Amino acid sequence: MKRLLHKWEGYIYVLPALIFMFVFIFYPIIYNLILSLQDVTVTTLLSPDKDFVGLKNYIDVLKQKEFWNALFLNCVFTVACIFFQFIGGFALAMVFKKETSFFRVTKALMLIPYIIPVTVNAILWKFFFATNGGFINEVLVGLGVIETGVEWLQHPWTAMFSVIVANIWCGIPFFMILLSTGLANIPMDFYESARIDGATSLQQFIYITVPSVKASIQASLVLGIVYTFRAFELIYVMTGGGPVNGTELLTLYSYKNSFTKFDFSVGATISNILMLILLIVGVFYIRMMKDDEEM
Amino acid sequence: MKSYKKRKQIKNVLMAIIAAVLFVIMMFPLYWMITTSFKDERTVFASPPQLFPLQPTIQAYVEQFTSPMFNIFQGLKNSVIISFFAMILSVVLSIPAAYGMARFRLKGKKFILLLFMVSQMLPQIATLVPNFIIFQKISIYNTYLAPIFADATLGIPFCILMLRTYFLSVPKEIDEAARIDGCNSLQSFTRVVLPMCSGGVAVSFVFSFLFAYSDLVYALTYINESTKWPVTVGIYNAIGRYGTAWSQAMAFGTIVAAPIIILFIFMQKYIVEGLTAGSVKG
Repeated sequence: MKRLLHKWEGYIYVLPALIFMFVFIFYPIIYNLILSLQDVTVTTLLSPDKDFVGLKNYIDVLKQKEFWNALFLNCVFTVACIFFQFIGGFALAMVFKKETSFFRVTKALMLIPYIIPVTVNAILWKFFFATNGGFINEVLVGLGVIETGVEWLQHPWTAMFSVIVANIWCGIPFFMILLSTGLANIPMDFYESARIDGATSLQQFIYITVPSVKASIQASLVLGIVYTFRAFELIYVMTGGGPVNGTELLTLYSYKNSFTKFDFSVGATISNILMLILLIVGVFYIRMMKDDEEM
Repeated sequence: MKSYKKRKQIKNVLMAIIAAVLFVIMMFPLYWMITTSFKDERTVFASPPQLFPLQPTIQAYVEQFTSPMFNIFQGLKNSVIISFFAMILSVVLSIPAAYGMARFRLKGKKFILLLFMVSQMLPQIATLVPNFIIFQKISIYNTYLAPIFADATLGIPFCILMLRTYFLSVPKEIDEAARIDGCNSLQSFTRVVLPMCSGGVAVSFVFSFLFAYSDLVYALTYINESTKWPVTVGIYNAIGRYGTAWSQAMAFGTIVAAPIIILFIFMQKYIVEGLTAGSVKG
């Protein structure tokens, strides 16, 4: 009897949060799946009976050139961001490894770009890449690299470059902090004995540092990929997906269909495809977590 | 031995210089935002750019605070209301849930944990339309409640997964000792275990607030009256109007970022701890 009560109690603790998440996350996800199988536009949105059209929306979306463009841009954006964020974050974590107060304070301050609202970052970088008065152009013209300012946000590929740079800047601290926890756990005598054996710095890095922080590297990469692949606000504020769909990632493409064209079913279809991709990546993460701790 | 010491000294100085350079590069954009906000419109376009405002002015701030287009005080108030209640909601729901997951043998615990992990990875866009419809049906569309509920869904999984590890680190014997002394499970939790995990609780407060304050897309989608907008939506709507009035845009940006920077200064320890705990934000 006592055991039974014990079990029961546990559910009381967990249920409120679980119910909340069911109502506002899992039910909406199911709702979204249903939406994608129907034909819902602004006129039929609140009406009780909507036509089911099967997989028609998915077939339509997969036939659109715009969808493949968005998926391609998503990949370009993610690969470029993760590559530089990882290298930058790792470098910072290595440089700021020391535990003196100077290094501790400066390392902490560098987290600010990551925690301030993305919207602020987006506007800040919009200013940096502004054609007139923007810092990037001022410097490039000042140094004589170019004669007149580049219209960064007015051309598809330069706009893509701009949002990538902005996102790299916001994301570097995330990698730095995750990797530096890994670095802090490496015992110093590892390096000590390697030095006595005559290992060079590069050898120490490859044979001691990298293997020791493998778990942090994996976690930061998988999470980083998930967060970057679903990026929305930064790009939405900086370019709105333009110019000429030049920065229209899947999230923006889905948002546009839902809230500009009011084609809610197509929007839902795109977001479900995006979700599927993220879940595949997520499976890796959950596997890693399982190795880490018994669940 | 001596040369080794000397080499190490040189290496230390070199590392400090590299660190300082990297630090300046990382912080420069923020510095530029703040200094630009203290320039007048003409100096923004000065060539070469003024690294430090030679004639600082608060004109841009005056214009922001007196702008008839968007009442920034109201916006800050809205932001604080939304973030505060989203924070309370997620912490109140997460603390017991994390404890339940850490201490009790539950059927399907693995599955529940999996659900919370998965919900952290979902794109916000996947729940945006359904919740838009749901909020209209339960008539909380265009009220503070809509972004509060939506923002809490960001905080809850983070807080539960993070707090659970804190609760797991408290030995079970401590609960048992409290029980022997006559506490029931709720008492042993609130009086014994929870105070031992106050750091984790602080982290969950800070991050639930941060998630909600930073949100743009939920408030943008679920609130259509500008008097109820948080500052993030306000600044998003303002940039279109500014054109190239960058000192004003930067002043607005500084105002929006200021509460978070202040929070960071006082709560730095917990923010670092929370970020280290992993999986944060997108």
